[in-house]
Amino acid sequence: MNQWVFMKVFLAILAARLTAFLAKLRGGKSSSMPGAIALKICPDLIARLSSQVRKGIVCVCGTNGKTTTNNLLCSALEGAGNKVICNKLGANMKNGVATAFALAARLNGRIDADYASIEVDEASTIKVFEYMKPQVMVISNLFRDQLDRYGEIDITVDLLTKAIGMLDDVTLVLNADDPLCTQFGYKTDKKTLYFGISEKVLPQTDDTKEGRFCPICGGKQWYNYYHYSQLGDYECTGCDFKRPHPQIEATDVKLGADIAFSINGKPMQIHYKGFYNIYNMIAVYAALTAFGIDTVHFSDLLKSYKPQIGRMEEIVLKGKPVILNLAKNPAGFNQAIDTVLTDPRKKDVIIAINDNANDGRDVSWLWDVDYEKIQTDTLNTLTCTGIRLYDIALRFKYSNVPVDTISESMKEAIESTLQTDTQVVYILVNYSAMYTTEDVMLELKKKYGGEA
Amino acid sequence: MQHSLTILHMFPDLLNLYGDKGNIECMRKRLQWRGIEADVIACTYDEQFTDFEKVDIIFLGGGSDREQKIVCSALLKYKQQLKNYVENGGTLVAVCGGYQLLGKYYALPDEKIEGLDILDIYTEHGNPRLIGNIILQNEEIRQPIVGFENHGGRTYIGSHTPLGKVVKGFGNTGKTGAEGVRYKNVYATYLHGPLLPKNPQLCDAILSGALQKKYPDFTALSALDDSMENQANEYMQRVIRAE
Repeated sequence: MNQWVFMKVFLAILAARLTAFLAKLRGGKSSSMPGAIALKICPDLIARLSSQVRKGIVCVCGTNGKTTTNNLLCSALEGAGNKVICNKLGANMKNGVATAFALAARLNGRIDADYASIEVDEASTIKVFEYMKPQVMVISNLFRDQLDRYGEIDITVDLLTKAIGMLDDVTLVLNADDPLCTQFGYKTDKKTLYFGISEKVLPQTDDTKEGRFCPICGGKQWYNYYHYSQLGDYECTGCDFKRPHPQIEATDVKLGADIAFSINGKPMQIHYKGFYNIYNMIAVYAALTAFGIDTVHFSDLLKSYKPQIGRMEEIVLKGKPVILNLAKNPAGFNQAIDTVLTDPRKKDVIIAINDNANDGRDVSWLWDVDYEKIQTDTLNTLTCTGIRLYDIALRFKYSNVPVDTISESMKEAIESTLQTDTQVVYILVNYSAMYTTEDVMLELKKKYGGEA
Repeated sequence: MQHSLTILHMFPDLLNLYGDKGNIECMRKRLQWRGIEADVIACTYDEQFTDFEKVDIIFLGGGSDREQKIVCSALLKYKQQLKNYVENGGTLVAVCGGYQLLGKYYALPDEKIEGLDILDIYTEHGNPRLIGNIILQNEEIRQPIVGFENHGGRTYIGSHTPLGKVVKGFGNTGKTGAEGVRYKNVYATYLHGPLLPKNPQLCDAILSGALQKKYPDFTALSALDDSMENQANEYMQRVIRAE
């Protein structure tokens, strides 16, 4: 490194650290800004730092479950005695990736890491891969998400196809059950490793399905069974595209308060709700396999894993469990509602929908969620809140589901559910509503006492 | 006599990008709540229903470019029937891609998709996409129309009457101050998704037109309790004007 470059790298890392420090002083969460400033000073900082990773870089993509998958993967790699760089908070655009590397670096521009486990927003893959070349790329699912930012799912597929083309030596770790993911394996000569759930688990419904048409030839796809959305066992009637046999496969799935299943015959159990979480787990298992890392202790890892903020996160207020769950798009919300329905307790439900930039400004997707399913014998009250409180309220009205309260205040909404005779409260929120809701929950916890 | 309307949802399996279900459900419920029977049928890629004589409202939604092309080639076979339906006063609600399809063509950078030529309009691809909340003022309906638009196409409507004047937002081209097309009983617009639930007066105008055509003795729709809908409309107006 010549002196000028050394200076730039030094200043970039210093600026990132200062920015992160100042943000912390002000009590804010800053996971993009340090990277943004560092890149202004040294535009190729990601390349200069990521090229020093000793054993391998993995990139995690997919509409839903990226953060859960990536953080679990990071824990697994660390558990095997590795030093890992990870964008844990989920800042997954170019600036967020830069933040993760810059804050892990010493001021002399050196990093000390065996692996980097980096989640990357699908729309940012090209910009990130210009500087960082992962050896393993996980694509766990593609759902319709935040339309106004990304245009359409076809645009995302095009972007990912181009991004994959930028990597010479990569193993694609793909969800075999998602035709939108496996098309990348079908269309490429790169190495592939597939994971999937190889049995019918859930009751078959006919809710909105993505990708009923073959991503290769446009013909109609036939499904042996569905898991949810377009995930399942599919076969095109017009060409030879079909679900590939997964090398990493989950079977013997049992859903209850816990989830039990086997990976390639080995039994696993997670204290965690939601069928979709199985995909996050087996994606991690597959990524480890792609690196040739031992998976003997994988079941212990799952047992000790704690979900991060807003993923069926439970806080007890006035003796009543209040469970917060984030869902950002129809597939995520449908899965969240299905998970709520598996809870037999009498419940109050609060739904908060925002339309800030990081939520997607367009709320049309509310109509692609089967919200009306929430109305069962165990539902006590239903409350709508968030910036788009009326859109969600009308969504219920036009499905003949009575809404008890429309409130601009999450605090009032939660407090009134604490007065009812129910056993549990579920709060389903989209992205930007999650942090404000968590703050309110913590504030109420202080007010009432009680354990987290 | 019990009144009833049949709503035909065109290709919900392909043109389903923007939660069109909200518009269909809104029309259905606002008929049912008034004791008018509402029958929703679908014309899908596998089971094509194109007996337009038997339907009172046709709804054509938006899809991705790829899906829109599939629909377009399927629909071109019924071009003349659709044109007759519209000219005879049939009600047609077209949103986004559906709106573009009603014109002569949609010119993309590398190809030109032939349209149904029902309206004397055409669309050209432009950059950037026009995305955001929007408010319109329609001449027939007092309540401002609030919605969301997201389109790459710029639609030139010639001498057609727009659906509304743009109060805030982009509209057909982002420049002309006009949004959509209002022709006979056609309502064509870039405002997608759950447009009608927040715009009950627009929904009722659409329903009234279809009822008048089918039942010459029909006078007016009975009033509904629209307090939640009107609150939603006013709330969004406030939010959008403050942006």
